[in-house]
Amino acid sequence: MTDLLQSVVNGLLIGAVFALVAVGLTLIYGVMDVINFAHGEMVMLGMYTSFFAWSLLGLDPLLSIPLAGVSIALTGALMYFGAVGRVLGRSPLAQVIVTFGLQVFLRGLAQFLWTPNTRTVPRPWAAGLRWEIGPVVIGGPQVIMAVGALLATGAVAYFMNRTRLGGAVRAAGEDPAAASLMGIDPRKMYALCWVIAGLATGVAGALLMNSYSASPTAGVSFVLMAFVVVAFGGFGSITGAALAGLLVGVAQGVVGLYAPSYTLAAALALYLVVVLVRPQGLLGTR
Amino acid sequence: MSTPTVLDRPSPARLPVAAARRLPSWSTAVVILAALAAYPLVFADSAAHNIGILALTFGIAATGWNLLGGYAGQVSFGHALYFGTGAYTTALLVRQGWSPWLAIALSLPLAALLAAAVGWPCFRLRHHYYSIATIAVAEIVFILVTNLPGLGQANGWELPVVEQSLANLQFSLLDKRPYYYVALGFFCLAALAVWLFLRGRAGNYVRAIRDDQEAAAAVGIDVHRYKLAAAALSGAVTALAGGYYVMYVLFVDPPSGLGLDLSVSFTLMAVLGGVGRFWGPLLGAWVLVFVQDVTRQEFSGSGRSIDLLLYGALIVLVSITEPGGLLAIGQRLWAPVARRLGRGRNPETDPEPAGSAEVKP
Amino acid sequence: MRKITSITAVLVLAAALAGCGGSDGAGATDEVKLAGLWPLSGPNATQGTDVLHGAELAVEIVNNDHPGLDLPLGPGKGLPGLGGAPVKLITGDTQGKPEVGAGEVDRLVTGEKVAAVIGSYQSGVTLTASQRAERLGVPFVNEASSSVALTERGLKWFFRTGPTDETFARSMFDYLKARQAAGDQIRSVGVFHSNDQFGNDGAGVTEKVAAEAGLPVSVNVGFDPTAADLGSQVAQVRSKSPDVLFVLAYTDAAIKLMKTLDQLDYYPPALLAYGTGFADPAFATGLGALADGASTRAAWSGEIAEKRPAAKTVAELFQQRYGAPMTENSARAFTAVLALAQAIDTAKSVEPAKIRDALRGLDIPGDKTIMPWTGIRFDDKGQNTGAAGVVEQMIEGKYRVVFPAELSSVQPIWPMNKAQQ
Repeated sequence: MTDLLQSVVNGLLIGAVFALVAVGLTLIYGVMDVINFAHGEMVMLGMYTSFFAWSLLGLDPLLSIPLAGVSIALTGALMYFGAVGRVLGRSPLAQVIVTFGLQVFLRGLAQFLWTPNTRTVPRPWAAGLRWEIGPVVIGGPQVIMAVGALLATGAVAYFMNRTRLGGAVRAAGEDPAAASLMGIDPRKMYALCWVIAGLATGVAGALLMNSYSASPTAGVSFVLMAFVVVAFGGFGSITGAALAGLLVGVAQGVVGLYAPSYTLAAALALYLVVVLVRPQGLLGTR
Repeated sequence: MSTPTVLDRPSPARLPVAAARRLPSWSTAVVILAALAAYPLVFADSAAHNIGILALTFGIAATGWNLLGGYAGQVSFGHALYFGTGAYTTALLVRQGWSPWLAIALSLPLAALLAAAVGWPCFRLRHHYYSIATIAVAEIVFILVTNLPGLGQANGWELPVVEQSLANLQFSLLDKRPYYYVALGFFCLAALAVWLFLRGRAGNYVRAIRDDQEAAAAVGIDVHRYKLAAAALSGAVTALAGGYYVMYVLFVDPPSGLGLDLSVSFTLMAVLGGVGRFWGPLLGAWVLVFVQDVTRQEFSGSGRSIDLLLYGALIVLVSITEPGGLLAIGQRLWAPVARRLGRGRNPETDPEPAGSAEVKP
Repeated sequence: MRKITSITAVLVLAAALAGCGGSDGAGATDEVKLAGLWPLSGPNATQGTDVLHGAELAVEIVNNDHPGLDLPLGPGKGLPGLGGAPVKLITGDTQGKPEVGAGEVDRLVTGEKVAAVIGSYQSGVTLTASQRAERLGVPFVNEASSSVALTERGLKWFFRTGPTDETFARSMFDYLKARQAAGDQIRSVGVFHSNDQFGNDGAGVTEKVAAEAGLPVSVNVGFDPTAADLGSQVAQVRSKSPDVLFVLAYTDAAIKLMKTLDQLDYYPPALLAYGTGFADPAFATGLGALADGASTRAAWSGEIAEKRPAAKTVAELFQQRYGAPMTENSARAFTAVLALAQAIDTAKSVEPAKIRDALRGLDIPGDKTIMPWTGIRFDDKGQNTGAAGVVEQMIEGKYRVVFPAELSSVQPIWPMNKAQQ
């Protein structure tokens, strides 16, 4: 029973991490209808930024959040202007392939610049925190990542739904032709969307360094889950992704207790069942 | 060139239509096959043969993917499942002492059935939902095969080395030309099957479904049925590649037979060569296998490889440059040459007018 | 215009790739070519390069005069049995993929006409690559793949210098016996393994050897190596509280496991790992003090270099040449290459069959190696019967040999969490 409780709590916390990683992905999808295969690599670059901020400047991962956010926002802009923005209007497949090329390129770049070695921040400040609630142990990094996920999700949702600029981004996403008539330049809005997605992803990367290691393939273990979380929650729905993240996390945690080899399979199966019953995902509209 | 549609939200059903409608003529097929047949005679070393064998084998899989993803517009990122069905069925039966020919033959209907069984629920999903669902299905199977006893688990299976003969599908490693020509034969078989499907009524229907599913349904096409038909043939063709691959490598494990990377590489080959174009996947397979081999041999060794870097850059550049892939780039470069040679406008090789590669539904 | 620019860029890139296809053919005819297959790119490139360095150093020692170095072929230049012919190592990159490794064997044997093949670090790649060598009739010497199954296939051209997982498991259980004799209580063991080939094989071997040792396996957890969190899996182990936890994990999972143990504040009395992730230098640097207390098996240790003059010289040469300390992996590759070179020298021929016969008859005593072994002698299956392992424990940020006693300089810390204080 203690183990089950612990697993559910672990699952919720790791679910929040999935949601955190998924924010940037769901934003780009919602506005541009593009699945960004390079998303995991953006997370990875955010993790490296945070790692080097620690190893070169001695900054704790929590302090390097702004740096990682800005760096990956810039990376997002570069990716948009250098590649993705040049295939607007092409088939979705063509756009997916561009992001796939970026994925391979960025992973190769990381491997070239920083070797395939695993990089870890040995003792981040958050790792010193630890709470025991009855028999359940909760680690500081997990809580910090979960809180960060909540804040990042909330901030992006607020921006998109409550601000004028966010409204313009949404308008450009929903009907680019009408938006241009209203004086909104859809291209600028798309670029902005990549910048914000990069910001959220960079923040996620820095938060992840509280507990995970950076390596050229670090994004892989999160991004498959992020894809599932985004489709599960309903493509483009930020709150849907958060909800789906938690569900998938708990499923993984509980299954990990009884059939540890099948954690990922369980999450994927849960997703398939839901999406086959409700093809638009939990909170999707399309 | 003008791009008036550039800011429209892309409709997922829109793919290069004008290019896709053309099926290859016999004359093109003969030229390509002659070139392929000559290749191992011109390039005689083992490494070149290895590239050719892999390119043809993956060309089969990518051609299979192209039928469903390119012509029918159902973008699957889970085709490794069918490749793995071919590989694992063949491995299982050959290990029991079956003839590899029989084993491969048996794996084809099995993969077709599996593709239809996966398609049955998943074709209810549209666009990206479908694509992500295919990843989920393939990954679940990957995990099951990795863990459940009976299919070699994570260790994979080694196939027995037996007497070298055509009947055993094992040949000398000193001269790999027999491997190459058998691969070429299988490719012809796969190309013929896909061509027959596309030439017939079903071919027109699946393209209509890709271009506009609602309109296709409105004129009375049984959308679900024709999607399933395309998926079944696509699965069988991909399984053929898997079956032959395992006979060539004599080993299969989950990453090499069922991995997500494999699924993505089929898609990539088709798109790089020219999605929805008959010879596109084959061209893409040759280019990717060649590039991977060359970058691996030339640029690695220091532990800091730039092979992935170049490979990624190539993918991005090609896809930015031309949605029709390398085939379209080639055609565009060839056009002025052809004009200078005084040839008339030939719908087979001339590029379509700029901008028409993307036709609005 | 932009289109044309990017088309040009594509063409230039393609031409650049094609242009690099040329090979550096003709060399001296009397040199002996050996193929070395390792993961030189991809996620295991660091380990692959480290292995390569060990092999290169061995070639350097064979080819050049190292008077006073008490190893086979150390003094004198080249292979005396072949009139002083030098050895040339031609490398192939496997990327850690079984199918690529197999293709490289074909290429190097038929194209470069190598006399023998050394490789391939990962067991899966060694499996397919050695099968190709078998079909081509060329000796294959393996340095660092420990999967037991490799030498159980009845291959006639396959030789493994290093210990198997079973040998390692026996060393670790011998260590446990010694601890029991010293008064530590060990009633049950647990296994925690990634559910891939390496993990599954190692778990099987551990269960087998545990049964022989009469110790029950109270919990056996296989985890998905890509799992983002190991909390539930560790909770499962904790609920059975084994006295010793055997672990098979790659770097990422090894770091995750140690962090999870810390987070849950649960430590088994002893954690014994099968190298790999735990032997990666990134494990110690990434975890800092959190790594303390973990133990691992090893085929070589820097401390051995302090006890043997030859090993010391080699380790110093390695440090000079590559600016990094010699590791278990490079030491194993070094030893495999030296053993193969010795066999070729004895065979006085580059004919594959003669080299194989010489390998079968090879007998290098333990003190003529840099390893903590009793020697290099192959049995009928091609396994070196002299190979053995040691047990190391991470103490104050450094792995120290704790078993066998004659090689160790420190006392093991038991229970492991005492090392953290």
